Amino acid sequence: MTNFDSKCPTGPIEDRWTKHKFDLPLVNPANRRKFTVIVVGSGLAGSAAAASLGEMGYNVLNFCIQDSPRRAHSIAAQGGINAAKNYRNDGDSVHRLFYDTVKGGDFRARESNVYRLAEVSNNIIDQAAAQGVPFAREYGGLLDNRSFGGAQVSRTFYARGQTGQQLLLGAYSALMRQVSAGTVRMFPRREMVDLAVIDGQARGIVVRNLITGEYERYAADAVLLCTGGYGNVFYLSTNAKACNVTAAWRAHRRGAYFANPCFTQIHPTCIPVSGDYQSKLTLMSESLRNDGRVWVPKQAGDSRKPSEIPEQERDYYLERRYPSFGNLAPRDVASRAAKVECDAGQGVGPTGQAVFLDFRDAIARDGKPVIEAKYGNLFQMYEMITGTNPYEVPMMIYPAVHYTMGGLWVDYNLESSIPGLFVLGEANFSDHGANRLGASALMQGLADGYFVAPSTVTVQIAGRKREAVTTEHEVFAAIEHEARERNTKILGVRGSRSATDIHRELGKIMWEKVGMGRNATGLAEAAKEISALREVFWNDVHVSGDPNHLNPGLEHAARLADFLELGEFFALDALHRNESCGGHFREEYQTSEGEAQRNDEEFSYAAAWEFQGVGQKPTLHKEDLSFEYVKLATRSYK
Amino acid sequence: MLSWLTRTARSSIGRKAVVALTGLALIGFLVVHLAGNMTFFADSDGATFDAYADTIGNNPLLPLAEIGLVVLFLVHMGLAVRLTLENKKARSKGYMVSKAHGGRTPGSRTMIFTGVIVLLFVILHLAHFRLQKGDDVSMASLVRFELSRPLGAGAYVVGLLALGLHLSHGFQSSLQTLGLNHPKYTPLVKVLGYGLAGLLTVGFLLFPLTIFFGGNS
Amino acid sequence: MSAQAHPESINVKLHLWRQAGPEDPGSFEKVELKDISTHMSFLEMIDVANEQILEGGGVAVCFDHDCREGICGMCSMVINGQVHGPEPGVTTCQLHMRSFADGDEIYVEPFRASGFPIVRDLVVDRSALDKIVMAGGYISVNTGSPQDANSMLVPKDKADLAMDAAACIGCGACVAACPNAAAMLFTGAKVSQLALLPQGQPERASRVLGMVDTMDSLGFGNCTNEYECMAACPKEIDVSNIARMNREYLRSSIGSAEGV
Repeated sequence: MTNFDSKCPTGPIEDRWTKHKFDLPLVNPANRRKFTVIVVGSGLAGSAAAASLGEMGYNVLNFCIQDSPRRAHSIAAQGGINAAKNYRNDGDSVHRLFYDTVKGGDFRARESNVYRLAEVSNNIIDQAAAQGVPFAREYGGLLDNRSFGGAQVSRTFYARGQTGQQLLLGAYSALMRQVSAGTVRMFPRREMVDLAVIDGQARGIVVRNLITGEYERYAADAVLLCTGGYGNVFYLSTNAKACNVTAAWRAHRRGAYFANPCFTQIHPTCIPVSGDYQSKLTLMSESLRNDGRVWVPKQAGDSRKPSEIPEQERDYYLERRYPSFGNLAPRDVASRAAKVECDAGQGVGPTGQAVFLDFRDAIARDGKPVIEAKYGNLFQMYEMITGTNPYEVPMMIYPAVHYTMGGLWVDYNLESSIPGLFVLGEANFSDHGANRLGASALMQGLADGYFVAPSTVTVQIAGRKREAVTTEHEVFAAIEHEARERNTKILGVRGSRSATDIHRELGKIMWEKVGMGRNATGLAEAAKEISALREVFWNDVHVSGDPNHLNPGLEHAARLADFLELGEFFALDALHRNESCGGHFREEYQTSEGEAQRNDEEFSYAAAWEFQGVGQKPTLHKEDLSFEYVKLATRSYK
Repeated sequence: MLSWLTRTARSSIGRKAVVALTGLALIGFLVVHLAGNMTFFADSDGATFDAYADTIGNNPLLPLAEIGLVVLFLVHMGLAVRLTLENKKARSKGYMVSKAHGGRTPGSRTMIFTGVIVLLFVILHLAHFRLQKGDDVSMASLVRFELSRPLGAGAYVVGLLALGLHLSHGFQSSLQTLGLNHPKYTPLVKVLGYGLAGLLTVGFLLFPLTIFFGGNS
Repeated sequence: MSAQAHPESINVKLHLWRQAGPEDPGSFEKVELKDISTHMSFLEMIDVANEQILEGGGVAVCFDHDCREGICGMCSMVINGQVHGPEPGVTTCQLHMRSFADGDEIYVEPFRASGFPIVRDLVVDRSALDKIVMAGGYISVNTGSPQDANSMLVPKDKADLAMDAAACIGCGACVAACPNAAAMLFTGAKVSQLALLPQGQPERASRVLGMVDTMDSLGFGNCTNEYECMAACPKEIDVSNIARMNREYLRSSIGSAEGV
């Protein structure tokens, strides 16, 4: 069960994508309207793909769960988007972006995919600029760049602190143009509840109309899932409340392999949890660490005000542990270091689950106006949320779940193990390995949506024979029935616990045992506890209202049911990976200095799991990863 | 051939622009009207004022100008009423609790009401000085007669205050509607708008107030 | 905000708008909440209210929300008569309970506008805003190979103004706050963004004509320049964008050959 076909082209890496595109089958422009493509999700990947396919002439059906495609969670990305333009003349190149991304992913990504990502990064910037995305400019009118974590070149393009929003609105505008032109039909407030696999191919979906509660069937020649990540399995994360794994999980249950679920990114600079009522976590831009110093009191339980703690009683632990990178250590490293301090009792704030991010020295050095000019908006946001003024009192921060590198397994064509089912953006596993560098999520979503999938869908559309299928097909009837029954069952429990309450408990298990520090005992316990919690859910959940109208409680509970299956599976993947790499830190596998210790001998593979039933151990398929262009090395930030 | 014109004239912005332009033209008329009226105070027997009134009254182009004014007035009113009705329809069900916290002013809130009051006032005004005036009465004495009565003076005060309130929003609003918004000039326009409204109101108010309180001297 | 000392928790009397559907007349449901932490966001307080309603055997109130960090534009509440609540420049999800005092009565209503029909409780249908964008809120460029991004210069001041306008999150607060339920700030912001940029020039005239005509057809009112929209806008988008749209519209309808 090792090594199955990732369909990666061979030959020199810089020619692979060009060569591959030439080898792909083509569809005559006049014939494209005869083919229907379903795109689920309208974030960067989804709207870019739907718009591009529409422009090419396909008959596109685009679905999203919000009231408008513009609200997908890509909108919340702040920092920027990388591209290898080398506008700064600082030695950047496609190869360097490729190299940084493979290394940043701790050598758990596929080289061919990453190279292609770096290659099309430049086209993305051109495309977005042509769409009217108001990127930051210099006085001469050229595009501005800034530097970002994990790179030594200035290659990040940005639009204030709202780069994700602006890129998404660019893709959304392209999408709206196609909706207006009639090539794309938009279906908002629809949630995909199952995938129709007919004769071994993905041929359609069943969705629930969230307004009417009706189930609707749609048939197609190919299905693209662009449904984002599964960070909300932790309950608290920086994801939007509606972000969920349901579409991907339903596909997984129908045969799509799910790869590396345990690779989850924990972002170090988030506003800490303030109480049990907390519904989500807010990210503070990583850029704050350029001027803020991270510290905790040396004395555990020190209850003095931070300003009263003298210099010699403060532990600037990042500067101490990583003298050369200091406060700018990469995300995974900085997050783990904060956890170590809090676990040792050095944590601050009412919960003890926070560390200080202090601007006192920067303000003394540069003056308040300079700091305000750089971070004014962020300081304001912090004050709005916490009610304290970070110019006077150090910020308190703590890591939070942010992004999931794992996802449905895809080959080089972004096609899953179900023919005809393509997976784009955060929903797939392909490009970031075990850790994602800053400003590269936007890049991947748009690369997949604008440039990769529109070319590669032809492997299904033109490359395979299939019968014409309508929604009258028995498979549609069967899966619709199943979905309907599932919701009826959830509503019928009428137990004593709300979905939020159970979700919070799931999150607590995940965070404590499958979070920043994992070990075999904890992971095994977590899997058991989640399995038990799933029983609680099906026997004691309480959802109000009816199935035949807008019912957010039912939506949440149905998504939670899938998270409860994913959570156990996630823990099992983390348990099987006996190494530490990127966002996956196994306490048993660390160096004497407490750093992550990879095991390339045994685990240099992507773990693609095949579903075998709820609570059953999934079957592992290993895709071996080979590194021809970037030499395997240990990441060090000392 | 003129579909573009009807399209523009039917659009929200086109109609608003017409309301703004007619409004500005009417403000222009008021400025000239006030300037002319000021001759009333030139001498105590009103000779200058009467001469001014006669010059205008005997001008053969007067009917044309009057028709023009009536058209401006009717278009301004007609479109404003239509826009207001549409606005009511756009929020057919109001808020149970409502609280303005933006730029709503007493003037902006009451445009349609002050507009109606001004309309009534204009009818009264025309009845006094345009339609009823016989050739044997001097304009100055007619003015004194009408404005020395409590009811007459009171009606003028109310009408003019409504006009002032109307203009306090109307002037700056017209320029915004015509797209004239500029970081340098818009703050000045706001001041100018209030200044103009105040000046016109106070200027016209001089008549009822001085006449009513000044007796028949 | 920081200088004041706030109590750690407060009691509030919540009046939530309940409406089963577009045809239902709707009414307020009263929920009394005890010991609400002032660190809670407004939506977290609504979550707590929903839990309490559930425990009492009731049906949870529906409200739109998603990112809970002020960028998706989903949340849409009118709180004591103010769209997105009493604080300036925030969405409902960014409003915190420290903005309220112990014992406060809080009335929560949906956005009310004929252009935004009520779906259920506090949820309204804002698809009209998408329709306005469909009518021209884009630059017609297919995915492919546009020129190098740096081959088109954009003056920094223009890029900044365009970004100010582009910051719109499409929440519809402008419509909800407008005494006339007009959508001119939303439309003006999109028209402005693209009219300011060189990329937007080729379709400058057809864009504004199409978007304004569509906006007019969707049941929104007409701007009376009272600027309630700007005060309610969580991104504080300036009404100069409405003036620019007016200018663009008149320029295009009267001063260009477009739409003959």
